[in-house]
Amino acid sequence: MTGGGGEQVRRLGGLEAEIMDRLWNWGRPATVREVVDDINRIRPVAYTTVMTVADILYRKGMLRREKTGRAWLYEALRSREEYTASLMQQVLGSTEDRQAALQRFVERMSPEDVSVLEAALRAAGHRPAGEVPPEKPS
Amino acid sequence: MSELLYRSGEFALRFHHVLPPLMLAVAAGVILPRFLVRSSWTHRTPRLTLGLWGLLVLVVTASLSLAVMQLFFPVAESHQLSEAAQGCFLTSGRRCVDVMLNDLERPSARAWAGFAAAVCPPLALALAFARQVFDFRRRRARHAEVLGMVGHWRSELGATVLPHTTPAVYCLPGRAPQVVVSEGAVHALTGEQLAAALEHERAHIAGRHHLLAAAASAVGALSRRLPLARLVRDEVPLLLEMVADDRALRRCSRRALAVALYAVAAGQAPHAALAAGGPSALLRMRRILQPPTERPTVPGVALLVLTLAVGLPGLAAVCCSVPAPGM
Repeated sequence: MTGGGGEQVRRLGGLEAEIMDRLWNWGRPATVREVVDDINRIRPVAYTTVMTVADILYRKGMLRREKTGRAWLYEALRSREEYTASLMQQVLGSTEDRQAALQRFVERMSPEDVSVLEAALRAAGHRPAGEVPPEKPS
Repeated sequence: MSELLYRSGEFALRFHHVLPPLMLAVAAGVILPRFLVRSSWTHRTPRLTLGLWGLLVLVVTASLSLAVMQLFFPVAESHQLSEAAQGCFLTSGRRCVDVMLNDLERPSARAWAGFAAAVCPPLALALAFARQVFDFRRRRARHAEVLGMVGHWRSELGATVLPHTTPAVYCLPGRAPQVVVSEGAVHALTGEQLAAALEHERAHIAGRHHLLAAAASAVGALSRRLPLARLVRDEVPLLLEMVADDRALRRCSRRALAVALYAVAAGQAPHAALAAGGPSALLRMRRILQPPTERPTVPGVALLVLTLAVGLPGLAAVCCSVPAPGM
């Protein structure tokens, strides 16, 4: 059933986020058991499910792992900040393709162009955001 | 010598069949786009203008189809559909089916080649569109996957928040659409301004603007020389922004949207080494600030384009182009 499949994919996507979130917060390598135990404090989740998703994340290149004894130790390959920065780079990117794929509120502009925008705003009698009103009753 | 005369005569004969669709293609692909892009009213009525650009693309595609088809058709066969149509009219439709069936009995190989050639322009357009749609979808899926891990949903905003200090507001359209704001934007904008920016993005999603953006990008990718293709690629994204601005303005003040536009642009500027977008944001800004004055009238060139779109391909098809091979 496609609907059920879609639900399954969404659920696994959510689990991916939960696993990454914990590894980022801990900032150290962790076993699947530790992750499962931590998620189980909020909701029940099967050990094998977490193991499968951790393996998917490893294959996607988001986690690295090494074997200690009988268990794998997983660790985030890049920090949360690095992933955020890469997303931001896509949003602020200058190629038209990106602009069309992600619809941005306003395109990237040079400081000179921004000052032209500001002049237009002032000419219409509006103050740019965050500025103190020029005249205050004394 | 007589051979040469004969050949050039034949060329002229065939050429006169290619001429109407070719002229139509030049009008809709070269001349009208330049008028349209220079007209001042187009940005006042972005929806109408989007429709006109779309019509011009359809007219050029259809007339190029007819033109290449004519190149392949044997001259002798080229008048036969008009004759068949004439036959239909003369018998007031009684013998119509009869005539059509007889006419289409045995098309020659060249006629088949003509039909095949006629399919090429619309097929190229459709393939380029499909490619863009899938390409955009792939990029967005990759983006959304990482976003799902680093961003968090804020239900009071109805948006995903990205933990980054640079202000940014954008949307990921498609089957699971979402609006995204950075923490920088949440801090830089007041509640009203943020609501205006989010409303603008929701307008993109509701209007399925990503499909039109993909179409414009596909047309632009097909040809660099044709003015229509180049102008569609540049103008359609801007018009889509204007449509989204207009829709946002139904729910927020002009002032809030204008200041939000400025504040996000200003916050991004220090990070914009290769910025390329100034003029279109300024056009939008002026448009947002300018209170609506008079009701825009439908201008002459719009009517002209509409007439062309509706009338001429039909005319070209009936009077001198499509043959019914094998009569």
